Amino acid sequence: MKRNVLFRRGLLMALCLIGAASALNAQTLLGSGATFPAPAYTKMFDEYYKTTGIKVNYQAIGSSGGLKNIQDRVVDFGGSDSFVKDTDFAKYPASIVHIPTVIGAVVVTYNLPGNPALRLTGEVIADIYLGKITKWNDKRIAELNPAVKLPNMAIMPVYRSDGSGTTFNFTAYLSAVSTEWKSKVGNANSVSWPAGQGAAQNAGVAGVVKQTPGSIGYVELAYAHQSNMPAAAIKNSSGVWVDASLASISASAAGAFPPDSRILLVNTNAKEGYPISALTWIIVYREQKYASRTLEQAEHLAKLLWWMIHDGQNFVEALDYAKLPAPAIKAAEAIIKSITYDGQPVLK
Amino acid sequence: MENNAFKSRHQTRAQKDRFFKFAVMIPAGIVVALLVLILAQVVINGARALNVDFFFKEQKPFGETGGGIVQAIVGTIMLLGTSIVVALPFSLLASLYLYEHRGSKRAKVLATAINTLQGIPSIVIGVVIYSWIVVPLRSFSSLAGGVALAIVMLPLMTSMIHASLEMVPSSYLEAALALGVPRWRAIIDIILPASASGILEATGLGVARAAGETAPLIFTAFGNPFLSLSLKGPVSALPLVIYEYIKSPYDDWHQKAWGAALLLVLFVLSLNVLIGSRKKH
Repeated sequence: MKRNVLFRRGLLMALCLIGAASALNAQTLLGSGATFPAPAYTKMFDEYYKTTGIKVNYQAIGSSGGLKNIQDRVVDFGGSDSFVKDTDFAKYPASIVHIPTVIGAVVVTYNLPGNPALRLTGEVIADIYLGKITKWNDKRIAELNPAVKLPNMAIMPVYRSDGSGTTFNFTAYLSAVSTEWKSKVGNANSVSWPAGQGAAQNAGVAGVVKQTPGSIGYVELAYAHQSNMPAAAIKNSSGVWVDASLASISASAAGAFPPDSRILLVNTNAKEGYPISALTWIIVYREQKYASRTLEQAEHLAKLLWWMIHDGQNFVEALDYAKLPAPAIKAAEAIIKSITYDGQPVLK
Repeated sequence: MENNAFKSRHQTRAQKDRFFKFAVMIPAGIVVALLVLILAQVVINGARALNVDFFFKEQKPFGETGGGIVQAIVGTIMLLGTSIVVALPFSLLASLYLYEHRGSKRAKVLATAINTLQGIPSIVIGVVIYSWIVVPLRSFSSLAGGVALAIVMLPLMTSMIHASLEMVPSSYLEAALALGVPRWRAIIDIILPASASGILEATGLGVARAAGETAPLIFTAFGNPFLSLSLKGPVSALPLVIYEYIKSPYDDWHQKAWGAALLLVLFVLSLNVLIGSRKKH
């Protein structure tokens, strides 16, 4: 009998606790998607929490996951580093806008004894991922790296198993430099890979490459730097060997910027530009009054976006992302100002 | 001659006996060794991650070292709490139905349904709860995660509670009825209290079963780098943190994943030991 009373009391207490907990509902925003900018976003949101007390939960699940979540309207914003094509707008229940946030680089990283600095061309990278170059001491890699003693090791290409904007930019570049890639594999968030092994998310690809000797993978620069992994220098369309760096990423974004911000930066013709640079976007609905959203939520979201393209930019360079150039910020400001709640602009 | 033949036959039998004894003991030994090895691996790798920050600080941004996993510890407690609140009434009522209507066609259907539910892969439960709760409420939430876990633990809890109800001697019920107590009161005041410890054990094992589940949480609780106490918003959980951290390229996160694994294993083990020792009494 006594035990039973205790049991009932315990249950009651558990119920009360849960009730109290749900009352403590702090102001939060939820986003999901691209893993490419996740190191920059989580840093920004950590700082944003310190200055405003607003918690922004960003779940790095991959660009395609973020787009799906924004379609389902289960998050405040989606993150993607592939923009939504005109023909895909119909998949969304309402008009969406793209806000550019940072510029990063897709680097080709590898795991070799001693991790020597390597030079690779787009064609060679394409042939590795096509399964045509299978050994590290292949003549075509050796030609590009005469000073490096390459091991007689099998190459294991690692690719993204989830739908990914990083994959989109990587395959866009390979399609631009290799006609065989373009016709056989093509350019999308997920493609059917002729060779190699899959891993989920940028962190996953970096993790597999770091733990697998002989492997090669493509990840955002920050992931390679944060875990001390090498990144190959790549020959750009002007014939210059470039390492991914703040300067070379910014250089490839120096051109004209469209008002809706949907632009690919790969295979730049800037002389010092890194050839697999990429923009990444936050995607939100233009009209914020949907489902049970309040004006307050819409305002929090718009203020966060405004902060990200201004003050937030101060935190990205330490993580090897390039700040948005002035024309991109101007375009982004206009886009954020076009966000409405019940037809009225959210930011005045 | 005959004596010798008997002896040798006896020897071969003894040899056979020894052989089969070993044949059974070796796999048994391997199973024990496996458990010890797994525990040793988790303890050795996990213990290094444990410090004050680990228990009381939130997650750091990607690639930064330090911080902790308080968000996941609290998240797991919330999720399990919610799942008990959801699963317990259902499994109590379902097992009472099985108890009261044993042998009836409907009870058989219910028993089959519960068994089948047990066989549904937990990732499927996650996906279903995504479309049942997450999409209609327009948010990932600890509520959705708790309901998904509740479905995972429901079959085990129901069959265990049912078994403990069946263990109450029928003479208790008969005595109560003979004294003129209405049936419903007899069940609430006699049967349920008599099987209270069984119900508690069932809840404990249900919690132990659900604590390590990752798949049902991916599309429901979703994860959160911040500490959150909201039922309506996403929360982190220990298995989610292990899953996210171990795939990352960051050494600090690898260590924290092992630390989280150690916490989870300790929690589940102590639940099992606690229940085991109660059973003996």
